[in-house]
Amino acid sequence: MGWEEKQVRGYSEFVRTAQHYHGRPIFALFCGDKDAEGKSWCPDCVTAEPVVRKELHNMPDESVFIYCLVGDRAYWKDPNNEFRKNLKLTAVPTLLKYGTPQKLVEEECFKAELVRMLFTED
Amino acid sequence: TTLMKEKLVVFLAGLQYIAVQIINTSGCFKSFLLANCSIMYLFLLFLADGPSIQQVLVELTNQRTVPNVFVNGTHIGGCDATYQAYHDGSLQKLLGDSKDAETYDYDLIIIGGGSGGLACSKEAAGFGKKVLVLDYVVPTPLGTSWGLGGTCVNVGCIPKKLMHQAALLGQALQDSRKYGWQYEEQVKHNWETMVEAIQNYIGSLNWGYRVSLREKSVTYLNSYGEFVEPHKIKATNRKGQVTYHTAETFVLATGERPRYPGIPGDKEYCITSDDLFSLPYCPGKTLVVGASYVALECAGFLAGLGMDVTVMVRSILLRGFDQEMAERIGAYMETHGVKFIKKFVPVQVEQLEEGMPGRLKVTAKSTGGEPEIFEEEYNTVLLAIGRDACTRNIGLETIGVKINEKNGKVPVNDEEQTNVPYVYAIGDILEGKLELTPVAIQAGKLLSKYEFLFTPLEYGSCGLSEEKAIEGYGKQNLEVYHSLFWPLEWTVAGRDNNTCYGKIICNKHDNNRVIGFHVLGPNAGEVTQGFAAAIKCGLTKELLDETIGIHPTCAEVR
Repeated sequence: MGWEEKQVRGYSEFVRTAQHYHGRPIFALFCGDKDAEGKSWCPDCVTAEPVVRKELHNMPDESVFIYCLVGDRAYWKDPNNEFRKNLKLTAVPTLLKYGTPQKLVEEECFKAELVRMLFTED
Repeated sequence: TTLMKEKLVVFLAGLQYIAVQIINTSGCFKSFLLANCSIMYLFLLFLADGPSIQQVLVELTNQRTVPNVFVNGTHIGGCDATYQAYHDGSLQKLLGDSKDAETYDYDLIIIGGGSGGLACSKEAAGFGKKVLVLDYVVPTPLGTSWGLGGTCVNVGCIPKKLMHQAALLGQALQDSRKYGWQYEEQVKHNWETMVEAIQNYIGSLNWGYRVSLREKSVTYLNSYGEFVEPHKIKATNRKGQVTYHTAETFVLATGERPRYPGIPGDKEYCITSDDLFSLPYCPGKTLVVGASYVALECAGFLAGLGMDVTVMVRSILLRGFDQEMAERIGAYMETHGVKFIKKFVPVQVEQLEEGMPGRLKVTAKSTGGEPEIFEEEYNTVLLAIGRDACTRNIGLETIGVKINEKNGKVPVNDEEQTNVPYVYAIGDILEGKLELTPVAIQAGKLLSKYEFLFTPLEYGSCGLSEEKAIEGYGKQNLEVYHSLFWPLEWTVAGRDNNTCYGKIICNKHDNNRVIGFHVLGPNAGEVTQGFAAAIKCGLTKELLDETIGIHPTCAEVR
């Protein structure tokens, strides 16, 4: 069956989507919002995205890849935003395997080897 | 003399010897044949000047027998000596001179991915070495397993301290009412919630190690490693797939696992610390078998979380620890909800009812005086009678690494090297040193040893127990200062004022140098950490007086 991608924006949409696919392996990449030209306010997210996309084919069958825009810079900087509070995110970009403690944060997302390890580790 | 230029020269006798000797020595030499090492066999019987060569050999080497083996001009000896050199690696070393040394897959292979193995791998990788780490957890009899990081992270220090903390918080809740906190609800504890949170944290540590190793380019295999040949191991993964790997150097860091007593029902129905920290259900009424720090710490936090706990002890508590402190710990636990059954050992565990938890019937026999039988029902039996080194099934005998047959530990020298030069060992599997160390150095090493016990009343110590101090220095040369104390936090809470205790043991003939420090009370672990540093700097009683408020109440030697 391969894998599929879902693009979401904001916390509620993320949670709804993750719950919808409960039972399948779910990987999520959290990035800062993109402007009209498609460029994120978060420079590390700009670097990480292509690296992660290149490794997506390593995800196990039936996986769901959720690409989630968290919000604008001000929202992200707020220490009480829902992503920080409920998902315990500490930075963007964050790539994680939903429901497990496995995640990669910031520069770790630049390394293809680590991304591959996250996608294939069991 | 021209012969000595050959790499490997073997002097043999007549035809009838040749067959035997070649079969004998081919075992040793086959790997060198593979490495294109030419072996010159000199058959003395067929050489015209055989007898005179034989004479020269005797003069050169004092050896009359054949085979007589030389490598690169160095005399090895006969058959036995050659085997020995093969087994301890010196033969290979001699054959592999720097120009055509055998190339290995790795510079270093570490067997065991726990505290020792991981620390070692990071150091080695930091020096630019090519490193492989093998870590594999053989599941417990009940099927429990865990990830990378070893005992401490998965089934030792980390979850233990977290559960101890959970129990302390329960105690704090009780104290809180005295400090004015008011709440209606009955406070209960949910085991599953605690285990989930702890396992989540451990999972993040396992993952962190995976990332860390990968970032340092250390190869990691979740496979069981065993030696099959010198410098070569066989790695078997969970699915049974086998790979082989070679290295110039090896480090054994395989640690220990809990011991089973060998009584009916032990493996089928009992759990150990390996199972406790991820147990998916509350253990309920528990019997803890053992008197080790593992037994007491586990009994302590289980009781603190509200369970009915009994500890069954064969003889004394905390063997090897300062016995005065051990008794105080035991007494405190007894007055705070832990039952003790002393001088009994379990002889049988039967299952009365399956379940999570089920119901078990334990039968025990007394170890002293009158033969007595004890029977009781429990939900869970936790065995904590000791831990055994994981050195028996990793092929050490194949490469000649000596272990202490009694306890499985590995004797090493000051550089942590085993009797086989390219194999080192670290961590819990180590035996003492190969040679006897003088008392001074011994004392130095003991002074740097400190330990903490996260029992309900925490215990921290650094240096010698009173027994060891008396044994090493003599009672008349010691001064012991001690004091009961009442932590301020305990005053308002109405907790005992005659329980917390501290003592220091001083060497009268060395400026009253502190050679033993023991404290029983809240945060003993943290307190001891600071004292350990002070003691390492040569703390004396006078310096202590100038800094802290433990007042001597008893200045006579005990």
